[in-house]
Amino acid sequence: MSGATSPSWLIARQSARFVLRERTVALLSLMFVVLVLISAWLGWSATSTVNRIYLDAAAFLKSSGQPVPTNPVLDISPLSLMRNMSVYVALIGALSAIVIGNRLVGLDRKAGVLPLIGIRPLGRSAYAGGKIAALAGLTLGLALVASLVAVATFLVLPAVTLTGLQWAQLAGFMGVTTLYMGFFGLIGLAAGAAARSETVGLLLPVTLWLTLTFIFPQLTANLNPTAAINPVSALALPPDTTFFHWAARILGPFSLADAYKFASAGLLDYLPQGITSPSFIPPILNLILAVGVALALAWRALARLSMTQGGYNV
Amino acid sequence: MSDLTLTPVLSPPTPVRTIAAKDIRDALRDRFILIVTGFLGLAALVALVTGAIALRGDVATYEAAKASLLALGKSADAIKAPEFYPLRLLRGAIEQIEIIGAAIAILIGYRSAASERGRQTLSLMLTRPMRRWQFVAGKALAGIGLLASGLALVLGGLALILHLMSGVGLTSDDLLRIAIVWGVSVAYTACFFLVSFILALHMKQSSHALLVAFAIWLTLVLVAPQIGDTLDPDNQVAGGVFKQLNIAKPDQVEIMKGFATFETVRDGIEQASVTKHFERFTFAVLGIKATYAGLPLGPILIEMLGNLIWIFLTALGLGALALALPLNPDRLAKA
Repeated sequence: MSGATSPSWLIARQSARFVLRERTVALLSLMFVVLVLISAWLGWSATSTVNRIYLDAAAFLKSSGQPVPTNPVLDISPLSLMRNMSVYVALIGALSAIVIGNRLVGLDRKAGVLPLIGIRPLGRSAYAGGKIAALAGLTLGLALVASLVAVATFLVLPAVTLTGLQWAQLAGFMGVTTLYMGFFGLIGLAAGAAARSETVGLLLPVTLWLTLTFIFPQLTANLNPTAAINPVSALALPPDTTFFHWAARILGPFSLADAYKFASAGLLDYLPQGITSPSFIPPILNLILAVGVALALAWRALARLSMTQGGYNV
Repeated sequence: MSDLTLTPVLSPPTPVRTIAAKDIRDALRDRFILIVTGFLGLAALVALVTGAIALRGDVATYEAAKASLLALGKSADAIKAPEFYPLRLLRGAIEQIEIIGAAIAILIGYRSAASERGRQTLSLMLTRPMRRWQFVAGKALAGIGLLASGLALVLGGLALILHLMSGVGLTSDDLLRIAIVWGVSVAYTACFFLVSFILALHMKQSSHALLVAFAIWLTLVLVAPQIGDTLDPDNQVAGGVFKQLNIAKPDQVEIMKGFATFETVRDGIEQASVTKHFERFTFAVLGIKATYAGLPLGPILIEMLGNLIWIFLTALGLGALALALPLNPDRLAKA
């Protein structure tokens, strides 16, 4: 059977089409794109404001006979203009991925078509592979849109030029972004397949997302929730106490929001010197391992999905 | 038949109480409320404990530095002692109520409306001798009552831990401040409860209503305050732009006069979110914001009255909307 007409491919294509027709998925995806655009504007606006403040401050210091320090904007890499994108990916990007993952399997369960699919000549691995392929395609689509906005911003903004290495770093950031959204999408898929009710299938991954985003950073670095969603404040040094040393050692590898923030800050050149991720595993490797675990969970949940029951059990 | 007069009303307050009591019984029976309250309590407790551990670390560092200076025969005045206001340790917990509390309110609002749809009992209930507003009011009262009880448990538990852990104990003034914060937290979370409740009652598909409510939560709770925070020039440079330029506070004010329009836009974005009003009010009352630490409650309440009015008007406005929107039983089948 050719690749173009394989059962997995058919399921992936049909699932992706169905999900794209959902208004809520379209709403969240649109929100994500709008926020990516806003993040580009925020980066530019905030940096240019700091630059203007410096010019005013320099004039003030000069007139009062005080020494004028160097402009902090000159120490900032142009890539860091995109630092807010990491926050919006961690918020709306992750939530969009959860919803996409949930709807990919939830729509089949809700429509009661699983028994119909179950009597077709295709294996469970084809169904699981098709759903995961659909998720990969849709997540890559979101990441591609975000990448296009980022590239267009750097091409349009005056006085901003990136070196070859910086373009590669930007590509790396988009890769890390895809991994992070993919992790939550796979968890959404796994929960959507394993949960007895549609609501629980959605709430379980959302609870995990809340825990990783707002509770773990507090345990590993005493970071309050609002600081955790500020790209600069989120990179503070943890308090130098035994508790935080042990918390970082034990919980660091599971603190994926931290891993994503540090990987993004490193790739977008806004990671302050001397500050490292709380995990002993490098952030990017940490994310790859997490995606591997989520992939295994999603595969297991999809492979164990009962093809004899239509709809949810409750 | 008029929308408001389905059948003659025998005893107006009774249906509201009956529906509210039934909803509270249902919510307690399926343990959902206990689970989400436990989750919020855990998040708030983690915030309180990590904050206390960090403060203890600061005190130990200060004591070590002070001992070193004294051993060298120097004065310890050169280093600033860490300030200790017990209520300031509630900062993380307040932020968790701001974010996770609002999300939980959305879930309670959704469940309150969706439960009747899921069991196909809404049309049946509306055939009973009651007005439709009474049905909505009963459900809303139960949901907000459950939120108020959950928040009382969380804040009461935190106050007790703080009293035992701080070593100095809480005064009656501290307890009054926590009680005020509880009242405002109920009004704040009620806003999100009502948004989700209205959407789940009136949208064609209740699962879509939940997602739209979460999109609103993201915008109001996380995005709008984050935009305002990001546009703050002092948050753009590690340690703060003025600190890096070695500019004193009075001179900072003078320089920022040239950025009045920028600051107005930034403040406007923050003000558009009820979350920011909640944060400003609670941070001032608890003395979390340094400028209010140690100030008496009266002047703080007068200064923060605008934020308080904003929060309560939002809750009342949404409550009025929930009561005013006509219910359509034909549309409220399981979707």
